[in-house]
Amino acid sequence: MAKLLELIDFHYYYGNIHSVKGINMHVEEGEMVTLIGANGAGKTTTLQSISGLTKRKGIQGRILFNGKEIQTYPGSKVAGLGIAQALEGRHIFSKLTVDENLRMGAYLRKDTKNIKDDIDSVYKRFPRLLERRNQLGGTLSGGEQQMLAIGRCLLSRPKLMLLDEPSLGLAPLIVKEIFIAINEINREGTTVLFVEQNSKIALSTAHRGYVMQTGEIVMSDTCKNLMENTEVKKAYLGV
Amino acid sequence: MFKILLINGLIIGGVYGLIALGYSLIYRASGLMSFAQGDMITLGAYLGLTFYSILRLPFFLSFILTFACAFIVGVLLEKGVIRALLNKSVLPIYIVLATIAISYIIQNATQALFGTTTLRFPQVFSTATLTISGITAQTEAFACLVISLALMFLLHLFMTKTKFGTAMRSAAMDPLAAESCGINTSMSTGITWALAAAIASIAGMLLGPMYGVYTTLGSVVGRKGFAGAVVGGYGNMYGAMVGGIILGLVETFVAGYWTGTYKNLIAYAILILFLFVKPTGIFNEKAIQDV
Ligand SMILES: Nc1ncnc2c1ncn2[C@@H]1O[C@H](COP(=O)(O)OP(=O)(O)OP(=O)(O)O)[C@@H](O)[C@H]1O
Ligand SMILES: [Mg+2]
Repeated sequence: MAKLLELIDFHYYYGNIHSVKGINMHVEEGEMVTLIGANGAGKTTTLQSISGLTKRKGIQGRILFNGKEIQTYPGSKVAGLGIAQALEGRHIFSKLTVDENLRMGAYLRKDTKNIKDDIDSVYKRFPRLLERRNQLGGTLSGGEQQMLAIGRCLLSRPKLMLLDEPSLGLAPLIVKEIFIAINEINREGTTVLFVEQNSKIALSTAHRGYVMQTGEIVMSDTCKNLMENTEVKKAYLGV
Repeated sequence: MFKILLINGLIIGGVYGLIALGYSLIYRASGLMSFAQGDMITLGAYLGLTFYSILRLPFFLSFILTFACAFIVGVLLEKGVIRALLNKSVLPIYIVLATIAISYIIQNATQALFGTTTLRFPQVFSTATLTISGITAQTEAFACLVISLALMFLLHLFMTKTKFGTAMRSAAMDPLAAESCGINTSMSTGITWALAAAIASIAGMLLGPMYGVYTTLGSVVGRKGFAGAVVGGYGNMYGAMVGGIILGLVETFVAGYWTGTYKNLIAYAILILFLFVKPTGIFNEKAIQDV
């Protein structure tokens, strides 16, 4: 399998603060990979650096997408390559309707006539959004906003979808629903890399996992192996 | 009397509304207040005068050229000064202070180029006055009202019905999310400042025939536009339009029924009143409270 995404000795500095300390990781085409770790480990920094949303001057090392170096690209350019991100905290456009939010996801697409179909398929996947299609994004519940954030990503027809804590602040039932959808999206062919604090659901959904601790990757394995690892069990699964 | 005041109030209110729009657009896109916004009016008036009166170009062409020139000035201001300072991570207050400097630069530059006397903007229409349902006014004044309202409507269509306009609003709402959708937020902010400048320049060109053209035209009228933006709800596009019009009406009615001496004072008293009683303005714009 080809490596769709690869981070090589990637560092991130917020000024003098060395937040990510030389990590190596990759995601193969078609894979679903998770990055878990405690608060402040550097997960968001890593994800947003891939998608071009962190200040570029803080980056050291290389980020390859389809073999091409992208660590100098601004966010809007990365989006054009086929990388979409559902941000931590969802970041829905609060004063746009659900429909308009989805359309913004398709901002860079030229094939306008297919956009309508893609919107409909998001509504089929998340019927709760269909009922609220003309409602303002800011008035949705947390779960609905997360569905919308994922839907907005899908509207760009991404090759790689990045999700930052999709379970954040949601009730267990909704979390389950969201992860069923993520699993489906991956099985339909989109490569997925997601960050989670809910390690249990993360490791039972993804194929492979990386464990991050204070800016470093301390473990990487298949999720099956990680779940059986005593350290992971103790530190992340609360067993 | 009432009808005359109403029309006059709407005419000047429409201009205030245009100016207010600029302030609100900028605040929305950058979270800043630009003191140079009023001077874009002055710039527009002088540009209009140059194209129309000195170069003797047709009015419509002068209008388009003024809009285009101010648009470019707006982009340069945002890219050359505002963003350059933002990239140095200075406090917002320094950027606001920089806009004060820009304001004086524009005032002094226009003074150096055109002198201190108020210049007359030549008549645009062949008929000097027009009478509509019993109300007689300068033809330019009626044109001013029509153009202001049309511009507001066009801007509304652009911002809500076009993909690019919606993207600009998205970038102002949530830059991070907008960037991740592929929207070039830096360009979007630049265009917002450009639009604000261009709209103000049109206001200047409309005021020219009524007030004459002088270097502090913009800073005087600009303050009214600012007050209008606050009254409507600072940062709210529709609030700006309505706030500007309300201010124009109040000012005109105060002058007509009571006293011309205090009409400016009343306008700013309303501004202060709103800041105390309803800082979110008529349109309940939360932007001010949240930060
Ligand atoms: N804008 C910033 N300026 C300075 N330091 C930052 C900034 N953003 C993050 N950091 C620091 O970088 C480190 C990594 O933060 P990051 O948000 O990537 O962690 P995270 O793993 O996503 O945590 P969480 O699970 O809480 O979301 C933290 O120590 C944080 O304090
Ligand atoms: Mg995070």
